[in-house]
Amino acid sequence: MAEPALQLRALTKRFGATTAVDEIDLAVAQGEFVTLLGPSGCGKTTTLNLIAGFLTPDGGEIHLAGKSVGSRPPFERDLGIVFQDYALFPHMTVAENVGFGLKMRGLDSKEIERRVGEALAMVHLPGLGARRPLQMSGGQRQRVALARALVIRPAMLLLDEPLSNLDLKLREEMRIEISNLQRRLGIATVFVTHDQGEALTMSDRIAVMRNGRIEQIGAPADIYERPATRFVAGFIGAINMQPAVVSSASSDGYARLETPAGPALARLPTGFGAGVKTTLTVRPERLRLGAAAPENAVAWPATVEHVVYLGARREVRLRLADGSAAIAEVTNDGSGGRAAGEKVTAWFKPDDAWVIPENASD
Amino acid sequence: MKQRSWPWVALTIAVAAIYVFIVGPILITTAVSFNATNRSYFPPQGFSLRWWADVFQPQWVQPLLFSLELATLTCVLATAFGLPLAFALHRYDFPGKALIRALVMGPLILPTLVTGIALLQFLTIVGLGSWIGYGALLVGHVVICLPFSVRTVAISLHTIPPNVEAAAGSLGARPWSVLRHITLPLLIPGIFAGMAFAFIHSFTDVNLSLFIARPGERPITVTILSFLEYGFAPTLAALSIISLLIPLALVAILGRFIGIGNFLFEEQGRG
Repeated sequence: MAEPALQLRALTKRFGATTAVDEIDLAVAQGEFVTLLGPSGCGKTTTLNLIAGFLTPDGGEIHLAGKSVGSRPPFERDLGIVFQDYALFPHMTVAENVGFGLKMRGLDSKEIERRVGEALAMVHLPGLGARRPLQMSGGQRQRVALARALVIRPAMLLLDEPLSNLDLKLREEMRIEISNLQRRLGIATVFVTHDQGEALTMSDRIAVMRNGRIEQIGAPADIYERPATRFVAGFIGAINMQPAVVSSASSDGYARLETPAGPALARLPTGFGAGVKTTLTVRPERLRLGAAAPENAVAWPATVEHVVYLGARREVRLRLADGSAAIAEVTNDGSGGRAAGEKVTAWFKPDDAWVIPENASD
Repeated sequence: MKQRSWPWVALTIAVAAIYVFIVGPILITTAVSFNATNRSYFPPQGFSLRWWADVFQPQWVQPLLFSLELATLTCVLATAFGLPLAFALHRYDFPGKALIRALVMGPLILPTLVTGIALLQFLTIVGLGSWIGYGALLVGHVVICLPFSVRTVAISLHTIPPNVEAAAGSLGARPWSVLRHITLPLLIPGIFAGMAFAFIHSFTDVNLSLFIARPGERPITVTILSFLEYGFAPTLAALSIISLLIPLALVAILGRFIGIGNFLFEEQGRG
């Protein structure tokens, strides 16, 4: 098997008393798109800066295509980087910006011109080479930054929250465009964001970070549907959580649980015996409402508190029997909404719940 | 404009005051320089260019050229020292940084008169009395102009967009190339604004020069001052206009070609 494009081993960075990056291990395969996702201060940007060489690690190793680069300066690392604020050179034209890396590599001006033209066409800005970055819109600048990073045919692409300065519609467009470009070029990419939507739609794998550590790494569906910790579950999307105690684990992979809202049945990883404290989670779109629940479903009585109209969907805020809050998201399919104060049955199939092996008190 | 609110009135008054007290005297001085009599009448009596012809006598041309040379050398030297100093003060932390900052910026607060007397005494005491004259003038002018170079370059450094230098590095530029292709070009307006300030400050200085200049090597300001003892001849009016036009022309040229206008009047626009 080929060397991974990037390998981090026990990578550590401290700023004074705080450990910003705490013994991180991560491997990014050739052509893979890996997202570092987390709240601000979780260490994701520091990790990116370590990979880029803008910071020197206090411990651990960074390997790019199998070679250790821990102490190498940025200009020897052969990485394409797109910054949050684009960091275009304001005193240069777009063509000079895009051609800068090629000029530094000593290419002749004919070749530079040809490749800059190609790169600008690739990001759908053909013929705009003579413009100045300041004459361009945010989306165009973003494309220039992308072209500038890719034209040098780097070993790897690093993206530092590149979409957060764009408005919503443009951001969604650029998501798709960056993804397509990345797949077409087959370039290994590390993408840093705090936006779970971007992470879910663009990534091959997501590493959710917290306090300088990777809390969970996996495919978007793994992270969303099978979160390893309460933090991951809560950070990505809305989720209903109930503290749950295993009352009996059955051999077929399901377990009976006791929760304050009522008894429940859910899939459970092996190795959890009766009495183990866990957290039962159900995504709002998997929590359904009705007058009565079908057979085999877990059903809890609930009262509608408030309905938030979202256009295509409705978010129904519920109060469960134990007084805890829950959210159900229902499709706006014309079947009529729920009214505040209405008594309903909130139900879910055991396969739609996910048990996290840690309790709220952990 | 239909605005008649009090800020509008205040602005109108301020603008009127600027015209009366800044442009007014300049216009009067210009008019006086064309007097036909040898008294400084206003409005001028008759019209003559004899005072303007007078200005081009060696008696005046020599100190004028001396001032130009001194100011040019001063602004080049102040920039040569100011650029690395600004870098050091803005980018790095080192022991004694606060002290160096205070020393560099000190002349901005210190009256130049005090600097002049101090420099005179210092040179005499340490036995460099022979320096008094051109050498000491140059040293003194560089010292009092240094804060302008350091400040303007520091402001420019501050306005460099974050990450552009890092971006250049990631694209394969070595530190020296980053400095040459990215940092210095972005500092150009600041460097030239600093040079303009230094030039003007040196060219218009009286206080320091008064103490250190030697007869025969006097800047135009000191020459004008000593001539004033004999009264205000229309020659001085003509000289004043020339002394005014030189810095104005400098700022106009720099403003046209390098865009220091933005730098002088507001926060520097990026690009």
